[in-house]
Amino acid sequence: MLPADLYRPDSVAFIEVTPETICRQQGTGKNTAIEILPDLMELAQRTCDGLPMVIHGVELSIGSFHGWNDAYLKMLDSFQQEWPFVWHSEHLGFQTISGNNGATLPVGVPLPMPPTKEAAALVASRSDVILERYGVPFLLENPAHYFSDLPTDPEIEGDIGLLHSITQDSGCRLLFDLHNLYCNAVNLKFDPFQAVDRMPLEHVIEIHVAGGSWRDGFWMDAHDGRVPERVWEMLDYVLPLVPNVRGVVFELLEEHAARLGAEAIADELQHAWKIWNKHRTA
Amino acid sequence: MSCSTPGRFGTNTERLEDMALVEFQTGLGQLLRDQQSSDPLHGVKLDANEKRYFETLRETAGFRFCASIQRSWCISRAAKGAYFTLSLLPHVKRDALLNEWVDMGAGTQSFYDAEGESFLSFISERLTDPSHELSMCRFEQATLRANNGATRYTAPDPAKLASPDCVLRRGSYAGLVSFHVDLELLMHAAQNHEPLPPLSDDPLVLIFSPGLPQLWYTPPPEDLEVWNALESPASVKTLLSRNLTPETIATLLRQGTAEYA
Repeated sequence: MLPADLYRPDSVAFIEVTPETICRQQGTGKNTAIEILPDLMELAQRTCDGLPMVIHGVELSIGSFHGWNDAYLKMLDSFQQEWPFVWHSEHLGFQTISGNNGATLPVGVPLPMPPTKEAAALVASRSDVILERYGVPFLLENPAHYFSDLPTDPEIEGDIGLLHSITQDSGCRLLFDLHNLYCNAVNLKFDPFQAVDRMPLEHVIEIHVAGGSWRDGFWMDAHDGRVPERVWEMLDYVLPLVPNVRGVVFELLEEHAARLGAEAIADELQHAWKIWNKHRTA
Repeated sequence: MSCSTPGRFGTNTERLEDMALVEFQTGLGQLLRDQQSSDPLHGVKLDANEKRYFETLRETAGFRFCASIQRSWCISRAAKGAYFTLSLLPHVKRDALLNEWVDMGAGTQSFYDAEGESFLSFISERLTDPSHELSMCRFEQATLRANNGATRYTAPDPAKLASPDCVLRRGSYAGLVSFHVDLELLMHAAQNHEPLPPLSDDPLVLIFSPGLPQLWYTPPPEDLEVWNALESPASVKTLLSRNLTPETIATLLRQGTAEYA
């Protein structure tokens, strides 16, 4: 939770909640459950004080071939009952595999989907099931990753082609994470602005900006500080091109909030507002 | 550029005719999970091209970076689950325990609490008994367990205690911890990496239970006697024959220190 005085309507227009941060996992194997902790749920609701809320999950693993994380969806069912959300989003990727005995094995890091027809079809069909289940928009986030040579079907045309294919074949919409695209552009050496132009921008509902840091020669999507200037430039560039966008979120991991400080966080929010107002109120 | 077969894919540089999504995910996942293994792709159905793809991938800077992130996240999750115990240990021992744990394929659960108890059990088997480090380890285990039980804890109906044949056991979310130094001193030492005092001959004993408001208390002798009597399940009749009172038994049942077997 960030400093309470940031959760004001003049500072933020809506709140994005990662539900796993107020949950814990119980049980193992097929008996695994993700439980909402009532005290933390009550605290989160009280802090947000009636602001509109959207969900940004991390545990679904929508692209795992052997199956998604059913415990996450059961938790989200309860969450929606207690605290309805305007839309919800997840990361396009997988983070579990199937073990020899059929058990679900977490890999320990999120991994990207290969841009293939099989991957696109799997995610599109699952997205439609989710859309039906919750009755509110479901968005997928373009991931940051460090692999330059993922297996590719020529018809899909890379990571961005995969997003086109999924959004064409399902009702899924996009959470365009500009910092993730920036990471990939820096690490895999391409022009982020040209990549923006290739995105299915008409499907973008939400935008993420965030900070990162260098580690072992890679720019990491660490959510540990201020937004790089180049990412602000990307936001300025993309906002006129996304007719259906409804909000911009500044992402910061809680463990870095104290070091960054409330004033710097408020600065980043104001920076986002300034660019938003420049394009959206015109 | 040739068309690919539905359900199959090729790389940018070389066609892979027979590798399906499941094989790609399993191969990449196993490469990351089993970084220390000499044969991390064991059991994955790959042809020669596909094996070559993963062998090449494994040597790329991007894969090596992803593997280092995976390992550091696994270590970090495990370390959070045993924070105070690890704080009492010398760095070399701390790092050795974490590396041994992660080498076993652990630390991958996003919810570190989910693995915390098993990691603490793993550590406890490698600590001297008695020692301050082992007390701290059992303290973290007991706190975690009682906390897990407390969220939705409801006291059981005591009516069955009226039957002398009713069998009780120790509560599933309860625990007893002996400290050989004042707890505050121990916590201070853990937080400031200070040397630990000698073991006291007169240990402080705490019981942890999910139905207690603060999850723990200093038990009176009669409560300790019930706890010891329940080392294996025992009937109410047996407990009463040891001069334990029905009120004590009912209290321990209500707070989750004991439960119906």
